[in-house]
Amino acid sequence: MAYRLGVDVGGTFTDLLLVHDESGSMHRVKTPSTPVDPSEGVLTGIKRIVETAGTEIADIRNILHGTTVATNAVLESKGARVGLLTTVGFKQILHLARSQTPGPLAGWIIMIKPDPPASLADTREVVERMDARGETVVPVEAGQAESVIRDLVESGVETLTIAFINSYISARHEEEVAAIVERLYPGFPVTVSSHVLPEFREYERALTACMNSYVRPRVSSYVEHLQSELKAIGATADVNILRSDAGLMTTREAARNPIYGVLSGPSGGVAGGLYVARLAGFENVLTFDMGGTSTDVSLSLGGQPSIGRETTISHFRLRVPSVDVHTVGAGGGSIAHVPELTKALRVGPQSAGAEPGPAAYGKGGIEPTVTDANVVVGHLPPRLLGGEMELDVDAARVAVQTIADAMGLASVEEAAEGILAIVNENMAGALRVVSVQRGHDPRDFALVAYGGAGPMHANAVAKIMGSFPVIVPPAPGLLCALGDIVADFRDEFARTYIRVLGEADPADVSEILEGLGARAQEWLEGEGIDPAARSISYVADMRYRGQGYEIPVALDPGKVRADGLAQLDERFNQLHEQLYGFRMHETRSEIVNLRAVGFGAAPKPELPQGELSGADASGAVVDTHEIVFAGEHHTTEIYDRAKLQPGARFKGPAIVTEFDSTTVVLPGFEAEVDRYFNILIRPSE
Amino acid sequence: MAATVEKPRIAAIPTDVEVDPVTLDIIEGALKSARFEMDAVLFRSAMSPVIREQHDEFPMITDPNGRMVVGQFGAYINEMMESWEGGIYPGDVILTSDPFKCSASISHTNDWLVLVPIFYEDELVGWSSQFGHQMDCGGPLPGSLPTGARTIFEEGLIIPPIKIIERGEHREDVLKLIFNNVRLPEMNRADLFAIVAGCRAGERRVVELCERFGKETYLAACQALLDRTYQAMKTLIQLAIPEEPQSFEDYVDDDGLGNGPFKMKLTIWREGDHAFFDWTGTDPQALGPVNFYLSEGMFKMFIGVYLIMVNDPQILFNDGFYPLLHIVLPEGCLLRPRYPSALGCRTHALARLFDVLGGALCKQAPELNTASGYGTSPYMLYSGWDSKGDFFYSMEILYGGIPGRPIGDGMDGHSWWPLFENIPTEYLEAYYPMRIDGYTTVTDSGGPGFHRGGNGVEKRYVYLEPGEISIHDDRWLTRPWGVLGGRPGARSSKLLQRADGTEEVLPSKCDRVEVQPGDMLVYRTAGGGGWKDRLDRPVEAVERDVSFGLVSAEFAKEGYGVVVGDAEATGAERARQREERGEAPAFDFGPPLADLLANCEAETGLAPPKPAVPLRWSPLQRGEEALALVREADGLPEPAK
Repeated sequence: MAYRLGVDVGGTFTDLLLVHDESGSMHRVKTPSTPVDPSEGVLTGIKRIVETAGTEIADIRNILHGTTVATNAVLESKGARVGLLTTVGFKQILHLARSQTPGPLAGWIIMIKPDPPASLADTREVVERMDARGETVVPVEAGQAESVIRDLVESGVETLTIAFINSYISARHEEEVAAIVERLYPGFPVTVSSHVLPEFREYERALTACMNSYVRPRVSSYVEHLQSELKAIGATADVNILRSDAGLMTTREAARNPIYGVLSGPSGGVAGGLYVARLAGFENVLTFDMGGTSTDVSLSLGGQPSIGRETTISHFRLRVPSVDVHTVGAGGGSIAHVPELTKALRVGPQSAGAEPGPAAYGKGGIEPTVTDANVVVGHLPPRLLGGEMELDVDAARVAVQTIADAMGLASVEEAAEGILAIVNENMAGALRVVSVQRGHDPRDFALVAYGGAGPMHANAVAKIMGSFPVIVPPAPGLLCALGDIVADFRDEFARTYIRVLGEADPADVSEILEGLGARAQEWLEGEGIDPAARSISYVADMRYRGQGYEIPVALDPGKVRADGLAQLDERFNQLHEQLYGFRMHETRSEIVNLRAVGFGAAPKPELPQGELSGADASGAVVDTHEIVFAGEHHTTEIYDRAKLQPGARFKGPAIVTEFDSTTVVLPGFEAEVDRYFNILIRPSE
Repeated sequence: MAATVEKPRIAAIPTDVEVDPVTLDIIEGALKSARFEMDAVLFRSAMSPVIREQHDEFPMITDPNGRMVVGQFGAYINEMMESWEGGIYPGDVILTSDPFKCSASISHTNDWLVLVPIFYEDELVGWSSQFGHQMDCGGPLPGSLPTGARTIFEEGLIIPPIKIIERGEHREDVLKLIFNNVRLPEMNRADLFAIVAGCRAGERRVVELCERFGKETYLAACQALLDRTYQAMKTLIQLAIPEEPQSFEDYVDDDGLGNGPFKMKLTIWREGDHAFFDWTGTDPQALGPVNFYLSEGMFKMFIGVYLIMVNDPQILFNDGFYPLLHIVLPEGCLLRPRYPSALGCRTHALARLFDVLGGALCKQAPELNTASGYGTSPYMLYSGWDSKGDFFYSMEILYGGIPGRPIGDGMDGHSWWPLFENIPTEYLEAYYPMRIDGYTTVTDSGGPGFHRGGNGVEKRYVYLEPGEISIHDDRWLTRPWGVLGGRPGARSSKLLQRADGTEEVLPSKCDRVEVQPGDMLVYRTAGGGGWKDRLDRPVEAVERDVSFGLVSAEFAKEGYGVVVGDAEATGAERARQREERGEAPAFDFGPPLADLLANCEAETGLAPPKPAVPLRWSPLQRGEEALALVREADGLPEPAK
């Protein structure tokens, strides 16, 4: 008996999903998160789920874990005290950043500059210099380096980062200095910038490396603590952590390079959503995760999530491969307001959060939120099936009435529909960023909805985008844990190699790629991944010479050796045309980075399936309720999701309730339940 | 035989279509995201670092009548169309780089402005437009911004409004002519078509909005959005602009030809709902290229931005309020130069305009009250032929001290213009024959204040191939001022340390300075002025700055009265300085101009500039005359006394 366990620690709940390797049988548990020490909630959940499944803790072979420990350390500015060593002349690298101030004009007046992960007081210069070809201009002055290292460590910094100019081309100087640290203070945690991010642009590399140092002690102590606690209750499983690019890494790697997991949480949702959509038969997918304060969206094409080279967290742009998740400050708790000056209706970015929360929650909130608007129009029935609390409809109406008054609208319903229309438009704007702005037509995509409020808004947002069907998976709250379970091992090995294609030697390119591939192979071996489950793909980051953004282009080292680089050039030109609408015939393309990506496939669970039975859904109707749509009142049936069987069909308007979410089907749309119990919403014929 | 020219059918704005307030807000949001999409498309496909890394570009979408409904610069399309002789068809793309032919919407020939008509159901429903700074547009010097230029003809190719694409067909002969006149044709081509792609993105979104909401609703919404801004601004003008005239003045130090400093003076007052912004008193235009041909539309937008930031920052910026503002710009002054003036280096006057505008407005709106910053766009250009015989050319904009602000200290070495970024050292070293010896900020260059002014930047360039460099900077003579007890920031300087050990002070504006391998330029930009009383700055903040190396211990004492680590001595020093100073001045400009000029050579190593006189071919119009013309044109007679 062997099980795989997915564990997702969210802000409110810790979700666990236990899957039996052979039978595919599944068990789920939801338990409150314990923010002070998240491992407490995890352990509670594990004990419960083992009990539910009637098995032993030792039978769990893999624990796959999405964690926000790194994310929260950054968001809450609660990381380690980081010492930074720079090239002489560049001490203020993080302080100067990219010199950018926000728009619009005069935006500098209200700019708030976050403190960088390493303070200027904890930054020292090392006498050394390397040129852009990797040749030493000034060798590392060992004695001087030794004295600044001593100075920093003795002053109490908890970790060190070494980030020198041009180290992307050669790590030699950084490694020399790292060796000095190891000699002086064996075992002292050091992040070498060219190891974390062997790519050019010194600020981004130094920042990413410092951020790695910043979150490292918290993540490694969390991971170590969790492992020892697990051991104490008899677990023998390997724990793996989900990376920001939806791949898995070992705890050892997570403790060393935790920055790769800075978006661990959202990437689990994307992986889970994509998995569900693929089973339902859709490879091109927009994911739509709407929570209380914000909404995360992403795009997957051909069954693959789009992986960006960069992600933004708390004002910091970090260069780590991440699922390209775009976030907007729009959620169920977003507050609607009408500025005196313009009388325009604005929703967010201020949020009522969990405390005091929407007015309808009766916890003291009085400002009108998106949730209140949903209550007013009837999308959220006052007594939720299985819900523990009753919603205060009157309080919601009073709150939303303030908007109607400020805008001079005739009814509270009109104001509520307005709030929903605005917030839906804001979220559609986020979906446009990941689709149309990247050259994709959203009408070619299905929309997977999850998160607390996602299924309630998905139909309306899909209507704006033309993205159908809407797919609402069963237990949308568990999608992140499912994403942990279905994730593959993934790691990248990269080298910056800036060459115009015409001047690049195909033999060199294939040799570098094969070298990177060998490192990927070594890593897969080291992770103990079955040879049959291993695969490696190769990518060249390319651009027109001198352009500032690169496009990843797939390539095969064997073919490059045999046929040269002409095909690569054509593929790059095609991609550029698709993304930006033009190609430049007379401009040479160049390679910037070469990468090998190693994958270790994990066994995929079978999701529960049912036989398609009749289309009659009337047996699942548990109540009726009134909703307002386009100013009209409609009597709407409320369905109990647990009673909806595969094959069932019903027309909007309809509301489907379940334990952790509510799905709204609008008038003019209809829903069907597929054999995986997903609700698929499409426009009525 | 005269060709028949088809004028496009311009869609009429319906007056009987009611747009419900929510639809209006949705269209507003969609237009806003269209404008950001235009940026995103351009950044991702442009080639020159000036657009790509530094974001020197501006998008806009207009209504059928050429009024900007969203964007960053004022409308110019109507004036341009008045003299347009050709037809306008779906699929056309118009290009211009002539500031004198587009009401100065672009202010020098480096800015290439692209204009795409948007058609829906055979009617013109708007324009999508965007311009971006080209790395080079021909002329005698790489970069096309010679500091010694005396007319616009020395600033490269001047492209009149002309179609580069007609009904979807590229006009290759026109493009060939253009690209044959620039040094980096590949890059110009890439950047030009990236701008076109950006405009196309704006076009697509407008067509989509027409499809989604109906053309009538979309157009009525455009009008309603313009009206909304009009109403909002009417309220703000009442609040922020006093009836009693307020004046403020400041200087651009020189014109690159030894003339200067040039005074810029602005007087603001209100008559009922209408506000006047009068530049009378501004010095005559320069012979050198520091003239800033100020677009009225853009200036109105600048004013609007200042006023609206604190009230509803989410508002869609548009032309709606323009009829409420009246701009007086005497012909022949620094801000209204006559054809064919040199215009290339207008960033000094552009930045100073914000200093002057802020200074004049802040008397009435203390929440906007900031000091003055490094006050220009400092450039470093380097070009030559490398050892392989290949031409190289780099152009970089540096930053400096942001002023002390109500919200906190001014940032050290940051950009006052939004979204600009510095160029990575590793990028410079990978692509150009140079090494950066250091990139840091200048200790003590930020003006002391309760909120400190930001430090200026110090960048040390070591040149590795023989070549020529050019420099554009300002604030080497006058200082970025402090406010309400804050002191001014430090001035800029340029020192060339030759490989043989000799040193030369370079002027803040110069061209064709020869450099040899191993020569090092120490480029220092100005700091920002301090905000509010420097003697009240919390001691911990001063001591932290000292521990960061941003302020020296000596300067902590001199500028803030803080003796590091000694509370008692600090108390005594602060009391002594307070006594000596008396009441904190509202503005601190540093020493008076006469003293600056008298001590110029001794303090800066450079000869003082000579006061400018009107050019023979560009006499200065009298302010009263200019004002009378504005009153007549706008139908606002002088109120009875």
